[in-house]
Formats: sequence, structure tokens, C-alpha cells
Amino acid sequence: MEFFLQQTVNGLTLGSVYALLALGYSMVYGILKLLNFAHGEVYMFGAFAGYGVLTVLGGSSAPLVPIWLMILLMFVAAVVVSSTIGVALERFAYRPLRNSTRIAPLISAVGASFFLQAAALLLFTANSRSYDAPNLIAIQTGIPIGPIRVWMVRVMVIVTSAVLMILLTLWVNRTRTGKAVRAVSFDREAAAMMGIDVDKVIVITFLIGSALAGVGGVMVGLVFGRVFHLMGFVAGLKAFTAAVVGGIGSIPGAMFGGLLIGFAEAYTTGYISSTFQNLIVFALLVVVLLVRPRGLFGREELVKV
Amino acid sequence: MKKRSQWPKMVMLFVAMALVAAACGGDDDAGAGDDTTTTAAAAPAATTTATTEAAPATTMAPEPTTTTEMEMIPCVATIGFIGPITGPVAFIGEVQLNWMQYAVDVLNEELSTEISIVEGDNQFDTAQSATLAAQFVDNADMVATVGPAGSDNVDAAGAVFEDLDPDFSFVSPSSTREGIAATYTGMFRTVPTDADQGPTTADFMIAEGAAKVFLVDDQSSYSTGLSDSTTAALEAGGVEVITESVSQDTTDFSALVSTIPDDADFVYLPWQVAANGQIFANQMAEQGKTMRIFGSDGMDSEDFTTVGSLVAAFAPDIAGIAGSADLLAGFLAEYDDTNTFGPPVFAAVQVIIEATYRVCLTGQTPDRASVQAEIANTDLADSILGSPISFTSDGDLAEGQFFIFEIQEDGTKTLVG
Repeated sequence: MEFFLQQTVNGLTLGSVYALLALGYSMVYGILKLLNFAHGEVYMFGAFAGYGVLTVLGGSSAPLVPIWLMILLMFVAAVVVSSTIGVALERFAYRPLRNSTRIAPLISAVGASFFLQAAALLLFTANSRSYDAPNLIAIQTGIPIGPIRVWMVRVMVIVTSAVLMILLTLWVNRTRTGKAVRAVSFDREAAAMMGIDVDKVIVITFLIGSALAGVGGVMVGLVFGRVFHLMGFVAGLKAFTAAVVGGIGSIPGAMFGGLLIGFAEAYTTGYISSTFQNLIVFALLVVVLLVRPRGLFGREELVKV
Repeated sequence: MKKRSQWPKMVMLFVAMALVAAACGGDDDAGAGDDTTTTAAAAPAATTTATTEAAPATTMAPEPTTTTEMEMIPCVATIGFIGPITGPVAFIGEVQLNWMQYAVDVLNEELSTEISIVEGDNQFDTAQSATLAAQFVDNADMVATVGPAGSDNVDAAGAVFEDLDPDFSFVSPSSTREGIAATYTGMFRTVPTDADQGPTTADFMIAEGAAKVFLVDDQSSYSTGLSDSTTAALEAGGVEVITESVSQDTTDFSALVSTIPDDADFVYLPWQVAANGQIFANQMAEQGKTMRIFGSDGMDSEDFTTVGSLVAAFAPDIAGIAGSADLLAGFLAEYDDTNTFGPPVFAAVQVIIEATYRVCLTGQTPDRASVQAEIANTDLADSILGSPISFTSDGDLAEGQFFIFEIQEDGTKTLVG
């Protein structure tokens, strides 16, 4: 039981981060039908922004401000940096190609991804940086759940992710802008004809998706420690898988898919072998797509014939 | 008129400062940067001493009178560098390239040679390595190259060198797979092989009374090769070995950490990314796992600081070797950071340049065949690695040796085996 609980916590932590990242893929796909392959790099820049604040404020060993304030500022910086990059991507890499062939923005996305990776390599070098979170929040602190104790940083990651996902759901379903996002997602041309500023809605979507990725980047830095210029690639791939498994374009699907991938990784490692972790995650993707080609929460697309 | 808020500007300024700090700061670099300034002035003199001590020890070392000849006939050649300057293990390639440039500068000054470098970024990709090998062979001025870094890439490049020009020498500073040097005529290496490190590691654990070892490889050829040799030696010693595997890109090991049996005596991590080892150690602490971690030479880095853990190294701490410490200080005066993959590059460059130098001293223009013959004759009594360098007929290091250190509370390492 202890082992199962521990793996559940492990999977929940990882899945929470994947879910935040998957939301960005899903939201952008929902309105633009575009796979934003640079999303992983947006997340990576968020992680570096958080690291930068940590460094400016004295580092984990000698913080100049209270820890809670430092962590808050790290999240703020990550949100600002990631959303700025996300909006810039939309403006310069995707918008000019919006009315071109479907493959063009896809290639632009891949190019943007490499560009951001190379920019990070030049800016931050290839060395790994460590948040050294155990110095910020001691490993001994935590909440006991049955026979195990969950480190406070993990608790923070899980709770923050849950709160952000709830807020996003409320925003999409209860606000005027959220309604506009749904309308654009449903039919961009019709939404424009109804007076919705489509460009503005797309920018807001990129902004929110990228901000969530930035938060995810800081969370990963805090809970897992290492940030480096290629960290966005694998995480992005997993989050993309999560979005597809959940049903790309579906916000609840992205959340569920993220958690599913997180649990799949943890249980595979725990009960089968770490060697087969990725094999099983991607096999899961194949199985889900075979059974439900539009993902678990994806809806059938109605096509006028 | 409405007064515009200053908050957005302040936030942007703060964020810009944060990114600059992320770029400039770094726990990896901080210590090195502090130390280098004071020792920089002493470095050139010290490096001169270190290299001149090494030169007479070579079998073909000339009498001082030949230096005059050197002054009259410039010893000019080009040497290559094949390494992962970008890509997934750019942290290795960057440091290797920096050491390459540093070594060429130091040795050119020392020996009055005019050796230039052609850089080749293989991105740790075998196809790129093969392409670079073909390009290098095609470069008539190039006499030899340093690299490639990993054994898979050595295989890819080695096949091309062997096919196009077996006289072309390549001295790898970090390929450790057993038996690979025997496959290629022109291959030499300045690091011991897995056949040296694996048994050394296993013997130490057995001597410490290990009955069960949890071993995790990082799916690189370096790691799996080392994992195999260590497992074989441990099992031969009656130790139960549980093997697992994770990608180098992984940063969450918590699920894997949960599977470490409570009665394991050691967790052995033959990894190239030391920062990952530290994360693994943190996650072990988080789950109350207290068994001792043993890292391979790839973990011998400032990034891995878990007190009480053990790391293997192919040299005693070079900061503690008289000539090498000065070389290290000279390097750190020019470059921010180093790691365990750097000093063997200096040794590889030294091997090639001194071989070229010896050819020049005979009055010949160095070419690939003559340089290869001289590399094979290398007999350095001492090196930056603190040990002699000469090669077996296969091109392996003749006296490869590994050392084992324990990490102390103050971050220093104590030699324990």
C-alpha cells in the first residue's frame, strides 16, 4: 500500500505538470488547428526566468526575501517571460502564415522551437542550473498521507496545478472572453462575423497557454531541480501526447491526459520497469487513438458534405 | 490627463534582470569564477613548467639544440575537433572545445608550433560524426583530430577514417567502451576503458561488504558499457545486482527511487549528467532512502554534492596535482567552467601536438602517417591527469587507472580507493 501511495503521489506530481503544459497545446490547437511545437521551449524559458529571479534574490542558500515571496516572484517572472514569448510566437511565427497552407505554420513551429533552443543555448549555455529547492523548503517538511510523507513542494505543485485548472475551466465557461474563445474554437469565420475580435482571442489564448507553461517550468525547477536548454523537448513531447490522448482541443481532455500520462509513467516504473516507461506511454497513445481516434474527450468533427 | 502606471515597466525591468541573472549566474560557475582571478597570473609560468617537464620524457624528445631548428622551420599543421558543441550533451562538447583551444594555445606557445584547429560539431549524432570524419579526411592540412566524445560516435567516425585513410589518427578524450580502439588503426584514447573502471568500482563495493546493488544506467553507450562491466564484476563477486534504466533527459526519478529495495547497500549511477545524480539523491532523501550512492567518473563534478557519496575519477583531483593545478587555474582564468570531460582533452591535444612537433624536429613536414607513428610512440612520463601516457598496440591507454573519492561535508573529496 505504501508503495502504491508513493507511486500515486509521484504520478500526480508529474501528471500535474504535464497537464499544465498539455493545456497550452490543446488551447492553441482548439482555435488555430496548429500544433505549437515551440510550446516546450516556452516552458523552458519560464523555468529559466524563475531561476533568474532565484539568483537575483540571493539563491536558495541565502535568500534576500521571505521564501514565499521569492517563489511568488519566480512564478510572476515565469508567467511574464513565457507569455511574452508565446505572444511573440503568435505574432511573428504563426499569424503571417495563418491563411497559408496547413503545413506552413507547422514547419514554422518546428523552426521556432529550434530557434528558441539555440537562443537558450547561447544565453544560458549548455550547463544545467539547479533551483536547489531542498534548501528553500526542507525535504523533511511535508504532509503525512498514511505511511508516506509528501514533500511540501510536491503539495504546492499539485495544489497550484489543480487551482489553475479550475480557474481556467471557470474562465472558459463563465466569462465573456472565455465564451469568445469557445466561439473561435468552434468556427473562426462565424465568430468573426458575429463581431468577435478573432486576433485578440488568439493572442489571449497564446498568452494564457504560455503563462501556464511558464508556471509549469518553475514547478519542474522546484520539484525536480534541474533546468537546461533542452528540457522543453521531452516534456513537450509528453505533454503533446497527453493532449492527444485526452483529445486535442479539449481542455478537460488535456488535464485528464496529463494526469493519465503521469500515472502511466509512475506505475510503469514502479510495477514493470523504468526501461519500458516511454514505450508504455507511447503505446498508450497508440491504443487510445486506435480505440478513440479523436482522443478520450475529443468530439467528432461535423463536416458539411 | 491620465497618468500612466509605471508598474508594467518595472515588471519588465525586473524580468529582464532575471533573465540576465539566469544567463550570467549559475551554481555551476560561481565557485570557479571566484577562484580563477587570483591564480590567473601564475598560470602561464606554471603551464610552461608542466609542459616542459613532459616534453623531455617523450621517447623521441630531442636535445635542446634542435629548438633552434624549430625557430627556423615553423611547425605548421591543422588538427580537428569532433565533439557535441550543441545538442543534448552540449555541456560536454562546450567544455571539451574550451580545453582544446586552451591546450593548443598553451602548447603552441610552449613548443613554438603553429597548430590551428578546425571545429566539428557532431551534436552527439553518429551521422554527423561520419560526415565530419569524411570532411576532415578531405582536408589535406589536417594531420589528426581530437574526438569524437562517445563510443557510438567513435564507431561512426572510425569506420569512415578506416575506410578513407587509415593513417588519419583520432584521439578520443572520452570514449571508454572496451575493445573499440583495437577496431580502428588510427584510434587512440586518453581515458581508461570500462574494463578498468567497472572492476575497480565493483571491487570497492565488494570490499565494503555489498550484497545487493541497485544500478541505473542512463541509456547512453558510455553508461550501458560501464553498467555491463560493473555488473559482470559484481556478479562474479557474488553480489546481487538490480538493473534499471532511465533516459538522460529525465529529471523526475521519484517513481524509480521508490523501487530501490530497502536492503540495497549501494545505488550505482554510471551517468554522464552529474546534475541528474544530485536530483536522484534529493529524491532518495525525500523518500527516506539512505543507501550510499556511487557515481561513475561522469558524476565527478561540482553538480553532484551529496555528502557521503562516492565517485570514480580517471585522475586524482587535478587541482591537487602540482603542474595540473596550475593548468586548471590557467584554464579557469579564461573559461568559466570545467568538468570531468575537460582534462583528458588537454592530454589528447598534448599527444597530437607533441607527436607533430617530433616529426617537425626531424626536418619533415608533418603528415598523417608520420604523426600517427609518433602518436603510437608517445611516452609521457607525466600528464595533466597525473599519470603517464603511453599507448598499447591497440591504442588504449597503457596504464589506465581509476580512483575513488568520497564527498565530504565541505564539498571536498577524499581519496578512499
